[in-house]
Amino acid sequence: MITRFITEVTTRFNPFSTRARSARLFLSFLPPTARSSGMTIATQLLPRTSADPSTLHIKFKDGKEMNLDCEAMGIKSIVEEVDRHSRALQKASDLADG
Amino acid sequence: MHVIRQNEGGEACVRIWLPLGHGPPARAAIGDAKISNLEVGEHRSAFGGSVIVGIRLVHPTVCPIHKMPPRIRCAIPRGLGSAVNPSRISNRSAVLRLPSASAPSTTTRQYATAAAATVSGGFRLPDDYVPPTKPPTARPSDTRKSQLLRTYTSLLRSTPLILIFQHNNLTAVEWAAVRRELRIALDNVSTEGSDSADIASRAQLQVIRTRIFDVALKIVEFHDPSKVAPTTVSALTGKKVQVVYNHDLSKAAYDASKNATKGDEPLPESSSYGQISPLLIGPLALFTLPAVSPAHLAAALSILSPSPPAFPAPSKKKNPGYHDAIAQGGLQKLMLVGGRIEDKVFDLDGVKWVGGIDGGLDGLRAQLVYMLQSAGLGLTTTLEGASKSLWLTMESRRSVLEEEQNGGKEGEKKEETA
Repeated sequence: MITRFITEVTTRFNPFSTRARSARLFLSFLPPTARSSGMTIATQLLPRTSADPSTLHIKFKDGKEMNLDCEAMGIKSIVEEVDRHSRALQKASDLADG
Repeated sequence: MHVIRQNEGGEACVRIWLPLGHGPPARAAIGDAKISNLEVGEHRSAFGGSVIVGIRLVHPTVCPIHKMPPRIRCAIPRGLGSAVNPSRISNRSAVLRLPSASAPSTTTRQYATAAAATVSGGFRLPDDYVPPTKPPTARPSDTRKSQLLRTYTSLLRSTPLILIFQHNNLTAVEWAAVRRELRIALDNVSTEGSDSADIASRAQLQVIRTRIFDVALKIVEFHDPSKVAPTTVSALTGKKVQVVYNHDLSKAAYDASKNATKGDEPLPESSSYGQISPLLIGPLALFTLPAVSPAHLAAALSILSPSPPAFPAPSKKKNPGYHDAIAQGGLQKLMLVGGRIEDKVFDLDGVKWVGGIDGGLDGLRAQLVYMLQSAGLGLTTTLEGASKSLWLTMESRRSVLEEEQNGGKEGEKKEETA
């Protein structure tokens, strides 16, 4: 997963729900240097009885915001969705650098 | 026993297969037969756990025509090679393998044959013999994963307090910093040489293999070792014996854990595995305490998942190491998702509640005892009250009646009692 262009990740989930799976896996995909390289990661754990849907909110360097539906999407489709935008940003940055 | 080589020089190479560990008795038997010109070699082979004993008959007289020098000891490596590769044996001519009549020292060889044959015949194992140190398993017992599974089941059975963390790509130095801070905090709440110091020293923060831990949880909950039916196997002597194979890698444990989660229907609410299984996703680490000690739990929570009013993080002045970049980087990546305390599953708030119990289990017990005592006191006074008032009424009534009946005899009574 390309994480270079993500500036902010906000998740909110109830770990006791099976639907929290993709949100939790997304967090585990972020590299060890994510925080030190300027990404803000905020996680809110809901209590066990809560039935609120798990949410994943991502902000990119170019200002694009993504609100991904963790309930329905698996981790693969989330990564795909994030990479789709990141690749465009990467292409732009490669052109600017070159 | 096989004679594998014999030549005119008067040497015979004999190879005997014996069960493992019977080389020395065979050698002793040969020694008893007073055979002086025998050389016995022994080699442990990977072939069926047998010992190959090479015996060479060395004749003092070497054939004068061929002037053949005494052969160097070659029987053992040769024997091993053919034992490992059976096709080589079949390639040899059968004549070579049969004991030939033209052997120069027939009597000597017969001694050796007799001794070896009796020994090897007596140690044949029964076909369904199961070594007691290697019971049958449903999972391969010698793999790392299986042994890890056994570690986890024993951990789950012996550890009353487990906190489950998700760890998101911590580096090794971050783990070291987190563990260091945890150790410091746990040591602060324990006094030297007491139980609390023991608890602190055995507290652990360990990364687990999530799927194997999941299987271990299933085995711990659904496999009851006391209900496994015994199996009949042969003992070493051939006698049939009943043995119970109920270890965690056994077929019984495997079936129990598989059957419990088979099908689509969800596990019942009461099932501890059903409650905890949604937590077991992604990279996990466990914090384990060998006893339910809210003081230690509170110390660990204040480090690993600080929440200001109840479990504040140590101050920068008191513990500067906690606030350095590496430790903070590590702690930010650790996420407390739940806990398992005394077989009950708790979420973050539940864990905090347990950490907030004053005085630990003893404190709870004292509270309970006090509650029961005060309730009992009230009950006894209430129950006593009715009978007391009845007794008082009756007593007063009696004295009134007595006064009425024997009004003048008051004086006599007083004298009697005195």
